[in-house]
Amino acid sequence: MASKKTETVNVNARLNRRTILKGAAALGVFGSSFPMPAIAQETTWTLANSMRSVANPYHASFAKGGADFAKSIGATYETLATEGNSEKGVSDIRALLQRTGGKLILNVDPNDSPDARVIVEEVKKAGGFVVTQWNKPDDLHPWDFDPNYVAHMSFDGVPTAEAIANELFKAFGGEGGIVALGGILSNVPAIERKLGLDNAIAKTNGKVTLLDFQPADWNEQKAFDITQAWLTRFGDQVKGVFAANDGMGMGALEALRQNGLAGKVPVVGIDGIDAAVTAIEAGEFAGTVAWDPIWTGGMGLAIPYAHATGKIDITKEPREHREFYGTGIIVSKDTVADYKNNPPKVDYNDLWGKATGQIQYRS
Amino acid sequence: MMQPVLEVRNVSKSFPGVKALDNVSFHINKGEVVGLIGENGAGKSSLLKVLNGIYQPDEGKVLVDGREIIITSPRHAFDSGIAMVFQEQSILPTLTVAENIFLGREEEFLRFGLISKSRMNAAAAEELKKVHLSTHPAMRCADLSFADRQMIEIAKALSLDSRIKTDVTILLDEPTSVLEQKEIELLFRIIGDLKQRASIVFISHRLEEVLEISDRVYVMRDGQIVQELAAKDATVKELHQHMVGRQLHHEYYREARQATPSAKTVLECVDLNRDGAFSNISFELHEGEVLGIAGVIGSGREDLARCLAGHTSPDGGNLLVNGTAVHFGAAYDATAKGVGLVPSERKVEGLVAPFSVAENMTLAALPKFVSGGIISFSSEKAVAADWVSRLKIKTPSTATSAGSLSGGNQQKVVLAKWRIAGVRVLILDHPTRGIDVGSKEDVYELVRDMTAEGLAVILLGDTLDEVIGLSNRILVMRDGEITARFEAPPGGKPTQVELVRHMV
Amino acid sequence: MKPVSVSNGNLLGHWRRWAPVVVLLALCILISLFNGNFLTFGNFIRLLNSAAIPIVLCMGATFIILMGSIDLSIEGVVALTAVIVSLLVLNDISPYALSLWAVPIAVAVGGMMGLLNGVLHIKLKTPSFMTTLGVGFAGVGVATTILGGTTVRISDPTFRFLSLGRVLEIPMAVWIAAVAVAVAYVIQERTRLGRWLYAIGTDEMTARHAGIPIERTRILIFGIAGLFYGLGGVLAAAQFGQGHALISQGRLFTTITAVVVGGTALSGGVGSVINSVIGVFIVVVLANGLVLMGVEPYVQQGVQGLLIIAAVALALDRSRLDVVK
Repeated sequence: MASKKTETVNVNARLNRRTILKGAAALGVFGSSFPMPAIAQETTWTLANSMRSVANPYHASFAKGGADFAKSIGATYETLATEGNSEKGVSDIRALLQRTGGKLILNVDPNDSPDARVIVEEVKKAGGFVVTQWNKPDDLHPWDFDPNYVAHMSFDGVPTAEAIANELFKAFGGEGGIVALGGILSNVPAIERKLGLDNAIAKTNGKVTLLDFQPADWNEQKAFDITQAWLTRFGDQVKGVFAANDGMGMGALEALRQNGLAGKVPVVGIDGIDAAVTAIEAGEFAGTVAWDPIWTGGMGLAIPYAHATGKIDITKEPREHREFYGTGIIVSKDTVADYKNNPPKVDYNDLWGKATGQIQYRS
Repeated sequence: MMQPVLEVRNVSKSFPGVKALDNVSFHINKGEVVGLIGENGAGKSSLLKVLNGIYQPDEGKVLVDGREIIITSPRHAFDSGIAMVFQEQSILPTLTVAENIFLGREEEFLRFGLISKSRMNAAAAEELKKVHLSTHPAMRCADLSFADRQMIEIAKALSLDSRIKTDVTILLDEPTSVLEQKEIELLFRIIGDLKQRASIVFISHRLEEVLEISDRVYVMRDGQIVQELAAKDATVKELHQHMVGRQLHHEYYREARQATPSAKTVLECVDLNRDGAFSNISFELHEGEVLGIAGVIGSGREDLARCLAGHTSPDGGNLLVNGTAVHFGAAYDATAKGVGLVPSERKVEGLVAPFSVAENMTLAALPKFVSGGIISFSSEKAVAADWVSRLKIKTPSTATSAGSLSGGNQQKVVLAKWRIAGVRVLILDHPTRGIDVGSKEDVYELVRDMTAEGLAVILLGDTLDEVIGLSNRILVMRDGEITARFEAPPGGKPTQVELVRHMV
Repeated sequence: MKPVSVSNGNLLGHWRRWAPVVVLLALCILISLFNGNFLTFGNFIRLLNSAAIPIVLCMGATFIILMGSIDLSIEGVVALTAVIVSLLVLNDISPYALSLWAVPIAVAVGGMMGLLNGVLHIKLKTPSFMTTLGVGFAGVGVATTILGGTTVRISDPTFRFLSLGRVLEIPMAVWIAAVAVAVAYVIQERTRLGRWLYAIGTDEMTARHAGIPIERTRILIFGIAGLFYGLGGVLAAAQFGQGHALISQGRLFTTITAVVVGGTALSGGVGSVINSVIGVFIVVVLANGLVLMGVEPYVQQGVQGLLIIAAVALALDRSRLDVVK
């Protein structure tokens, strides 16, 4: 394997080798729903991350972040996958609460917003601690469930999308038409990212126009087909493609490639998946936003653990430490080398170091 | 004495509670046509299933050309020279004529693993010639009439004849029940030709036909062969006596019980018309009347029946029930107005086979058995039991699945269903098709009972004889139009010849 | 000789058989009225490009549906074979570089999964619905486990030629899909398996009486379908230049929709692989056309939903005509 690798992709190759090793860990994930050794539950807290599935890169890294933190403090760690099923997600958590006798620290990306309330209530009843990510009802707040509902963290899609859209405009010279691929219409991140794009376009004072917007439901294949249709409809009016996530961006890029336009029409995405980073290096992507899911995966456990072990008292923390946005890292042509050479570090002692303000509710 | 082509020796077969075949011995010689008759449930079908490899006998043996064989499957029977034409058609509508004829035997047309369609179609054309069918072999069977499909079924069996070195026996289970007179004559000519090369077992409820075509006749009753006789010496009456073990009722169609209809019109058609099916249909149907409709296949009488029952909609004209114009959007609209259809496709349309006798009977009148949203099983069961005894339905219990009953008893269940639903007009489409003589008489008795109670019946009879015998009045249809009307009071019935003149 | 009597219902049936083609032509005309670019050569190639993978998948799915079964394992098989082929050609994770030799291996894995579907379905007598659902989940699960949620990037230009290459201006994937259709058509029309799957789908009891080896036929057909899905997985990997467990997301629904829209009845026995090719084009042309015509995204989903319902209604009606003798 190493024989074919060039020096420049070595860092990345190592990252991948690490994740491949996690293939074995993933097997462990499935296996780990068997009862834990009794010692673990008597002496210390059990840590768990719950998310949709380890099949997508974002959540795979999210799980890895949780496992990394657990290892750093020598605690038992479990990954719970909902597989897109709210029922399964909640009942797995319930089972784990029971098994650990409530001595559970949970970092959960709920399958659906309403699930968050059920999960928070269950955890409070059992006496555990929980941090939620991305999805929760607007009227559900950590401070209403002191001290068990420790925090909610999210990312503000609006400024993120606005920033990455500007990277796109810069790539084609700031003047001309673009097309945009959105996520599932009713999805909060999809709405925020669309809003950010609209803001960015408005600020160009008509220099950039949105030729068409189509939701591709976060789906690579759909993005491919829609981009093809756009090439027929708009031809060379398309100066750039905005995709609300990298997966759709990759679909768009391959459609461009089929038409000999890869590298000529820039694409941007959001999420910072490896393929997008590579495409940036190849000059085919103009940029992406890395969420640093290793940080969210680890910090969502580190904060409640700090409270559980008495290092902080969460009930005394300000609200911007209870409901806060994380930081997205813009990766573009200029910053990609730096990003790859210095992957973001996680400092578990700097609990709110990457928090960027209290969550705003737009409705 | 010559060696029988096919012989059954002392075969018995039991099912839980029933001895379907009881020490049956039977043989057929080369070039012989043997008739096999008996009431439904007498064991004919079981015997055929043993010969066709669907059932394995509990006792006794089967010999082909004097050698004992154990027939394991229909395919094995076929390869041993025994081909069966099923009563329920085994023609697949989605395949072409040629594909149906050679289904499961495509290997003779294979070259490098691929089927040669041209060779298969040519071979099929040869087989179709034998049954004088001009259908193109590449036609899909869905596009053929029921009668044509029956002929293809026969052609499929006959295809064995040119492909097997040993002697061939063809089992024909009720081949004529869906054929019209002309086609029956054709079939008989074919059987005549075939006698040169094959032996034939012929099963039919039409005893005249059996006598006409057979050399010898076996009569079955209660799982046993009760009589074997030479056809040339036998009479229909004699066969009937052996079958039922009692005298044939001298008054077959119960003409003495034929009611005089009241003057009250329950159903009236005025210039009813459906494009491509029938046109200008006008008649009145009175309380207590049996109105027969005669006509060949394609005369439009089946279409008319389905239209009257709300299965299809007319394109023009008026339909009045009890003097009010009605428009049926679906069959349940018709049911709600008291019009019910007993279809000829009992298995497909009239009966939910896996449902019990009681469930089938109450199907069209379920609301009557529901209180507070719950079906009352006790009242359902009581009503069903009452009808089982009134109609003399042979069933172990009202909980037996209707599909397991014999054809005649199934038909009675369907009739009971409509009686329970309280219909006032009942359309009977071939009510006695494929059921035995004893059950037919029961059905005729039922028709008289119904009219005595003031129900009106529209009858599309299985035979002209039946239409004439049962009806008060007869309409004759041809090409979608009424070509003649006959009064048919007891003692003043029109003859078949009179009717046929207007049919063709 | 007597004329063949064709009743009204059957004349209507003839009409319905051509309904998918009529729908497709009507769509094409309608779209080209709105946007002249629709009828350009460039767009024609793009349509073919979008249709290639769904067509390959539909070849397998049509066989299964004709047989009266259903196959929900499509996404699982595509995901696993795409991941396997990505790992076997020159890539950024594993050391293998089998180039095109990886293709038969991946296709064979697809075939094995299909056989597994068939064997479980027949031997355990579980409905194909449940069996294939299970095998499909297993496929995605194994693909996920192999990669642990990451993506393999393919760097083998020969392999990517399967999608990106052009011969006579037509993308390679389209040529491959055309060959798949030809093979499927020959299986359907000219082999015993093809004949038997129609017979089984129409009336299994009659087929059994005719001496057709039902179990063996069913298992083989599932295996053949798996081969097509495997090929679909290979083409998906070649198209996106990567393999990951989610590469097949949404393929099952598209495939079944195309089969049904093409006029193959879910009840079995009625339809053809050619119908499904038409079905794929209806779905692809519609998706392309809705974007070309600038239809509101919210409305698009409604239009697509209506199309599916209309198509199912057509298919249902036709199958009823065939059942009622």
